[in-house]
Amino acid sequence: MRTNKISDEERKKAFKSIKKPEVIEKQKLSVRYHVEDFDVNDRPRRFLEAFAAILKHSNYRMALDHYSRVVSRCSLCATTCQIYQATGDPEDIPCRRSELLLNIYRRHFTLGGLLKGRITGSDYITDERIQEMADSFWNCTACRRCVLECPMGVDHGLITHLGRYILSEIGMAPRALVVSTREQLEGTSRNTSAVPVPALKDTLEFLEDDMFEEKNVKIKFPLDVENSDYVFFPAVSDFLMEAETLMGIAAVFTATGDSWTIGTGYFDGINYGLFYSDRILERVIKNVDGETKRLKGEKVLIGECGHASRTAKSFMPVFCGGEKALPVVSILEYTHKAWKEGRIKLDSNIVKEKVAYHDPCNFARNRWVVNQPREVLKSFCNNYVEMTPSGENNICCGGGGGTVSIDEIRPYRTTIGGKLKAEQIKKSGCEILVAPCANCKKQLRELVEDQGINCQVVGLHDLIYKAIIFDDSLVVKKEELSLDKKNETGEEEV
Amino acid sequence: MQSLLDFARGPLFRLCFAIMLLGLARILFLDIWAAYKAYKKTADRKMPWKLVLSRSWEWIFPVKRLSNNFQVYSVLSILFHIGLILVPVFLFAHIQLWKESVGISWPSLPYSWAFWLTISTIIFSVSLFMGRLVIKQARALSRKQDYLWLILLLIPFITGFVCANLNISPQSYQFFMLVHILSGELIFILIPFSKIAHCVLAPLSQVVSALAWKFPPETDDDICTTLNKKGAPV
Repeated sequence: MRTNKISDEERKKAFKSIKKPEVIEKQKLSVRYHVEDFDVNDRPRRFLEAFAAILKHSNYRMALDHYSRVVSRCSLCATTCQIYQATGDPEDIPCRRSELLLNIYRRHFTLGGLLKGRITGSDYITDERIQEMADSFWNCTACRRCVLECPMGVDHGLITHLGRYILSEIGMAPRALVVSTREQLEGTSRNTSAVPVPALKDTLEFLEDDMFEEKNVKIKFPLDVENSDYVFFPAVSDFLMEAETLMGIAAVFTATGDSWTIGTGYFDGINYGLFYSDRILERVIKNVDGETKRLKGEKVLIGECGHASRTAKSFMPVFCGGEKALPVVSILEYTHKAWKEGRIKLDSNIVKEKVAYHDPCNFARNRWVVNQPREVLKSFCNNYVEMTPSGENNICCGGGGGTVSIDEIRPYRTTIGGKLKAEQIKKSGCEILVAPCANCKKQLRELVEDQGINCQVVGLHDLIYKAIIFDDSLVVKKEELSLDKKNETGEEEV
Repeated sequence: MQSLLDFARGPLFRLCFAIMLLGLARILFLDIWAAYKAYKKTADRKMPWKLVLSRSWEWIFPVKRLSNNFQVYSVLSILFHIGLILVPVFLFAHIQLWKESVGISWPSLPYSWAFWLTISTIIFSVSLFMGRLVIKQARALSRKQDYLWLILLLIPFITGFVCANLNISPQSYQFFMLVHILSGELIFILIPFSKIAHCVLAPLSQVVSALAWKFPPETDDDICTTLNKKGAPV
């Protein structure tokens, strides 16, 4: 799928900076996202120091050496990059972006590059190059679709990740992510949305009441239940913005009868470390591990969130004990399995609209969760349409790689980042777009709003909540209800 | 001229071929060694072999690429690589030289195949060169060496074709043959030190990428200590 270049007017809108000129002047950084105050002196030296420290204590050197040797600049990656297709700027070609960092690596960290640099006096790292990287690496949505297209197998997503990591070590990371992560790791609430535990409890109680009213079933959000099969970590923003997704998940567990719980010690699946720092990534994942162990849970269950699921699935074994690490299950896998085993039943007369499924990159790119949600959806949505390309080769929502959390770049995300996705949604003609990812949902809602597309964006469990059929034994009968009420009143009187 | 030709075909060829082999062995060893060290450093030893092998396979035999979204360029590139690999390795005349000097031989391409593959490789090489010049994104990415490589690879193919198929004078034949051999030897020497190293390294790329995402644990402290950041807020 291809798209046309944006118009001059759209470009102006997308790249409009909302930063004050004096801030740009002070920070020597004209990128569109806000950063916290940082030391602007001697940036090249500090960049190299951070780069060297990371190389010393990581495995990146292996990848950089390999990529430096094989990279062929064939430009095939340009054909799949939705950012390049929208801007047409050579700077946005994934291979070109990777070269920004590879050039510095070769020049400053390889013998050949050092010699060549000495002889020709070229390719030194400068403030301008750092500036260029700070811009370029955050223009990328880290969807890693280019990885599939590179004949040399260069993982441009990994290089962008490393570039952001080094920049963050010298203070050049989007403030939106840094502040949230600080609250998550060092704040009192221990989550990125700063939701206090009492507020969490209130919200969940309210949702339980709501569900009972709607379904006549006692659907619970079990809190701090030890020895549960699953300890649940959604994107914490779901507690504020995605009530129906959570209700759907609780409904599924009520139907299956499996034990699950939410820990009040730590309940945030979000891990911005994936977007800008391996150190943060490790610290956050260890919190998830710690809370599951505190509650003596058997498995880590991640809610509808692509990056949270990938970080837990991929990095729990990396940072929390290899083969001994706790197993990680995505709620999409869990629900699919339960549906396949016949433990949840869905009414196919409820959802009548045209439904399409959007693959979150972090689920689909490595072929992890692709068919499972589709099978579930097709079983009860009679008017299901497929968007192409999809699955492993899906098109990113345009807000991946943490960019969706940076509100000041919304015009960029909905004009450039999501341009191709918007065209794909329009082409499919879907009325409901299912996106089982907190980031994708936020971005897609902003995208359809800004692009004037008439389409509702929901999570998979939002629809499941609507269509789920509970076993008669779970439905509270009218007589029991009145008895319950009487008891309640009696207790109050006492 | 004859003695020069003999030198180029004899000791110089052996030297250049040895440089290529040793050079490729060196980078292959370095690559595998680095991957081994990375593997030892990470706590997660479970590799996604199914994905890695399937993606590596897709690129070693890129049949799927014929239906991608940059079709002409991809098809040209694939056909170019087929000729580039098959002709030098399976040409009857080349195998004869190996047989005479080292005593080993292997099945050769039929003459007509070699003829058409040589022509097609020349045409595709020129097409790829033009592609780099004309296609906007390819031009934006191309370095000098990307153009020079296509020219350099053309030389042995053109001169080889002239020697094998055209009725030319013995002097001209010797000249073309000398250029053919020398250009081939230059390519041999450059292979391990340039992007053409992908001929041995590219099949490992998927393994390297998969392994690269398996970060070593407990680096937080080390990096903070190195950067003098211990105790600093997130």
